[in-house]
Amino acid sequence: MTEPTVLVPLDGSEPALAALPVANALGEVEHAALLFLHVAEDRPPDAESLSRVLLGGTELDGLTVATRTGKPAAELVHAAAEIRPQLIVLCKHGAIEPPNVLGGTAMNVLHNAPCPVVLVPPSRGSTPWRLQHILVPHDGTPGTSTALRPAQKIAEHAGADLLVVHVAGTAPAAVEPGYFTTPRYVDQPHHEWPAWSSEFGKRFVCLGPPGRLQMRVCLARGNAAAEVMRLANQHATDLIVLAWRGVWDAPRAAVLRHIVAAGRCPIAVVRV
Amino acid sequence: MTARQTLPRLLDLPVAPTTDPAWILVEEGFTLAREHEVESLFAIGNGYAGSRASLAEGCALSAPATCVAGVFVSAAGSVPELARLADWTHLSVTVEGHALQLDQNSYVEHRRILDLRQAMLWRGWRQRSAGGRITRLRELRLASLADRHLLLQSMTLTAEDYSGSVSIDATPMGPLTQLTDAGITVIMAVRTRLTGPEGGAVGTAALPIEQLNFDINRGETYRLDRVVAVYTSRDTREPLRTARRRVERAVENIEDVVVQHRDAWLARWEASDLRIDGDPAAQRALRFAAYHLSSAANPDDDRVSIGARGLSGTAYKGHVFWDTDIFMLPFFNLTYPEAARALVMYRYHTLAGARAKAARLGHSGALYAWESTDSGEEVTPPFVVGPDGEVVRILTGEQEQHISADVAFAVWKYWEATGDERFLIDAGAEILIETARFWESRAKREGDGRCHIRGVVGPDEYHETVDDNAYTNAMAQWNLEVAELTARLFAERWPAQWRALSRRLGLASGEPQRWQRVARDLYTGFDERTGLFEQFQGYFGLEEIDLAAYAQRTAPMDVLLGRERIQRSKIIKQPDVVMLVFLLWERLSPQVRRVNFEYYEPRCGHGSSLSPAIHALVAARLGNTALAEHYFRQAAEIDLADNMGNAAGGIHAAGMGGLWQAAVFGFAGLRLTEKAPEHCAKLPPSWHSFCARFQWRGQWHELTLPEG
Repeated sequence: MTEPTVLVPLDGSEPALAALPVANALGEVEHAALLFLHVAEDRPPDAESLSRVLLGGTELDGLTVATRTGKPAAELVHAAAEIRPQLIVLCKHGAIEPPNVLGGTAMNVLHNAPCPVVLVPPSRGSTPWRLQHILVPHDGTPGTSTALRPAQKIAEHAGADLLVVHVAGTAPAAVEPGYFTTPRYVDQPHHEWPAWSSEFGKRFVCLGPPGRLQMRVCLARGNAAAEVMRLANQHATDLIVLAWRGVWDAPRAAVLRHIVAAGRCPIAVVRV
Repeated sequence: MTARQTLPRLLDLPVAPTTDPAWILVEEGFTLAREHEVESLFAIGNGYAGSRASLAEGCALSAPATCVAGVFVSAAGSVPELARLADWTHLSVTVEGHALQLDQNSYVEHRRILDLRQAMLWRGWRQRSAGGRITRLRELRLASLADRHLLLQSMTLTAEDYSGSVSIDATPMGPLTQLTDAGITVIMAVRTRLTGPEGGAVGTAALPIEQLNFDINRGETYRLDRVVAVYTSRDTREPLRTARRRVERAVENIEDVVVQHRDAWLARWEASDLRIDGDPAAQRALRFAAYHLSSAANPDDDRVSIGARGLSGTAYKGHVFWDTDIFMLPFFNLTYPEAARALVMYRYHTLAGARAKAARLGHSGALYAWESTDSGEEVTPPFVVGPDGEVVRILTGEQEQHISADVAFAVWKYWEATGDERFLIDAGAEILIETARFWESRAKREGDGRCHIRGVVGPDEYHETVDDNAYTNAMAQWNLEVAELTARLFAERWPAQWRALSRRLGLASGEPQRWQRVARDLYTGFDERTGLFEQFQGYFGLEEIDLAAYAQRTAPMDVLLGRERIQRSKIIKQPDVVMLVFLLWERLSPQVRRVNFEYYEPRCGHGSSLSPAIHALVAARLGNTALAEHYFRQAAEIDLADNMGNAAGGIHAAGMGGLWQAAVFGFAGLRLTEKAPEHCAKLPPSWHSFCARFQWRGQWHELTLPEG
C-alpha cells in the first residue's frame, strides 16, 4: 500500500475508542487515511459485530474497516507489516487490564511494529484532541535524534511546538559517537547555557528532515521519568514522543514504563 | 580521534603532512553530530585571523566561521561579539551534474588531519557519486604565521575511474567587505587559481563569484589554490588596496606562502615545544595546547587579547577574561615574550574602560571588566535564561573584582620573566598603581580595625555576594604591596620617569604608604592555628556534601543540586583558596599549602574547565603525583575526549594554558624566583623524560629531566 495510512486497531471495547480522536487528528496532520482493523479471535466478524466494534460512531461513517481472524497481537503485527502504515494508534490497554500497565496486545504491537506506535490512555475518552504541544525526552545520543525524525515531522506538519527535554543525571555517559549531554564544565553560565541549548537543538534537528520547527530545549535534573511527567503537565503537553531501544524490562526504559503507567496524554513510541 | 594515519603528499606543494603521530590529530570517517567539535579542534589561526575547520562543501551541521581578533559587532540590545567574516573556504564540487556531499552520498574514505607541527589542516576524501564515479579530493588549509594577513586553501581533484565534466563553485559565502558598527572596515581579497594536469594555469578568477568548469579525463588531477588577504581599517588606511596588492603577489607564489608559513611554525616550535618521552597522550595534548595558544596570539597587535575560545569559535563571543592573564600568559612569558607583551599591553590600552568601571561603582583607580572586548568596557550580560527556563541575574560583571588583581599579577609576572623595563616604565607601573588605588578605595576599615572587602564573587562562582573572599583579599593585598614596591623601585631607578608618572596620575605623597597599610590590615580569613584560609566569611559553617556520591555524574554539581542548594553547601566550582596557594606559593609555608589543598580539593566539584589543571599543578608540587596525573588527564581531555561536546563553540584556551602550566610548573616543578629559575621535578612514572626550552629575562634555558 502506497497511500499514507494510520492504522487503528479496535477490539470492540469502549476504552479502545479513546484512540479515535488522536488517530483522526494525526491522520489529518500526516495527510494519511485512517484504516481501522478489527481482529476476531475465533471466526470472521460479521456486520453486527463490526457495528459493536465501532459502537455506532457517526464520525466514522464511510471509513473502511479491515478485519482479520486470529490472535489479535500477531494479526495486528502482520497487518502492519503488509500495510506499512505511518503510525499505529491504539489504546494502551484493554477493558479488563489494569489502568497503569501496558496491555498485552499493545505490548506485543510495541515490540514488533514496523512503525511508531501511539499509545492512548483510555481515560481521555472521546474528547476531541488537538496537537499543539509535543514533548520529546532526549538522552543526547545521535541514535535517539535519528529515531525521533517522525516527531519532528509531525510537529512541523501540525504547527505544534516541540519541547526537547534532556535530564541531567548521575548516570555514566553514553559511548555513542556524537553523544551530547550537559557540559561537564560550565565556565560562564550566561555563555555556556545558550550555546548548549543551541548545540543540543542543532544536533537534534540536523539528523531529521529539513524544515522549520518551533523548538525549545529544556534541561531538567533529577529523576528523568518524574521530570518528564512534571514538564509534560506543566506545558499542557498533547503528545510525548519517546525513542525506545526495544528493551522493556528494568532497569531499561524507565521513562517509558513510568509514562505508560502514569501519563495522561498519548505517547508516541519510536524504535531506535 | 586517533593518531595513526596520514594523507599522501598533496600534489605539487612543497610540503607533505607530518606523519609522526605525536604531532597530528586525526578524525577518521564522518560523524555528523560531532561536526561542531571537529570544526573547533581542527581550527587554524595565527592570532590575527582564525578559521574553523568546517567542511568546504558544507553539511547539515556546518558552522563555518572566520574571525579577526579585535573585530566585534553588536546586535541591538546585546553585548558585542566577534564578527564572522565570509566563509572563504567554501568549495562545492559537482561531477557530471551531481554535487559531492559527504552527508548525502556514500563516501569511500574520509580523513581529516590537524598537523600541529606545520599548523596545517589536511583533508583526504574519496567520494562515490551517482553512476559509481569515484573522485579523490585532497585539501590543505593554513592561516599564515609568516604573513598573518594571508589565508590559503589548496585542493586537488582526481577523477579516479571516469572522464566527465566537473564544476567547482568556489564562491565565498558572505560579503567580502564588512563595516562594523564600531566603524571598522574589514576586507577580504580573494584570488583563485586552477591548474590543469599539465601544470599550466587553467584560469585565475578574481571575481567574488567563482564558478570553474572543466572536463577531466580518467586519472587526471586538477589543483585549485585560493588565497585570501584580510585587512581591516585598524591595520591600514587603505585596506582594500592593501589586501588586493597582497593577494596578487601571494597567488603567484603559493609555494613560498606555504614554505614561509611552515618555517615560521617550525621556529615557533623550537621555542615552545615540550618533549615528553613515555606518555604519548600527554605529549599530544601538550602540543595540541601549544598549537592553539600560539594560533591565538599576535605579537604585532597589542590592542587585542585572546578570548576564552581563542579564534577557534564564536562561543563566549570572543570576550576576554582573567583566563588570559592567569592561565595563558605564563606560556607566552616563557616561550613567546613578544606575544606576552602584546597581551599585557592590551590591559594598558584598556585602562580607560577599567577606570570608568571603577568610577561607575563609586571607587577610585581601575577595576577591569570581567568580560572585555576591544574597548575594555564591561560587556558581561546582566541576565541569562537558564536551560530550565529560569531567568538568572549574572553578578560576575559587578562582583568578580579579583580580575583587577589578576591583571596586576600578570603585569608583574611578565616584568619578572622578561625584565622588560620599557614596558614597566611606560605601561606596567600605571596598571599596578591604578589597580592598587582601586583596592584601597574598595576595602573598608571596620570596627575590628581590619580592612574588609564585602559583596564579591571569588573564582568559585557557586558562591555569590560573599564577604572577604580569601582569594580576592589575598590577591588585593599582593597588588597593594607590589604597587608600593613599584613606587619605591621607580623612585630609586628611574626618578625622572617616576616624577612624570606621579604628576600624570595625580599621585599624592604618602599614597603608596597608604596602600601598604591597607595591605597590612586586609582581612584574609587566614587562621594561624589551623593554617587554613576560610574561603569567605561563613564558609566553614556551610553544609558538607560528599562529592563521592556523585562520581559518575555527567553534569556539573550546580545543575544537579540547583543554585540555592549549592550556595548553601561547601561544594566549590573551581580552585579558589587552592588558586591562591598556587599563585602566592612563595609566600606560604609548606604546611599551609598542604593543609589548604587537602581541605579544599575534596570539596571541589570541578564545574569549570579551569579547575583540573590547577589541581594537577598543585598536587604535583605537593608530591601527590598520582592525584596530579588524574587531574592532568582530566584537563587534557577537556577538548580532546570524544564526548566533550562543549568544545563545539571553540576550544578551551585557558584550560590549555593551565595544562601547560601543570606540566611545567607542576610536574617539572619550575619556579621563577627573583634570582633565577629553579626546579624541583616530580614527574609521573610514565614520563621517562621531559624537555622544555624557555626564555627568562632574555636568556634561553633548557630544562631536561631527569638530570644527568
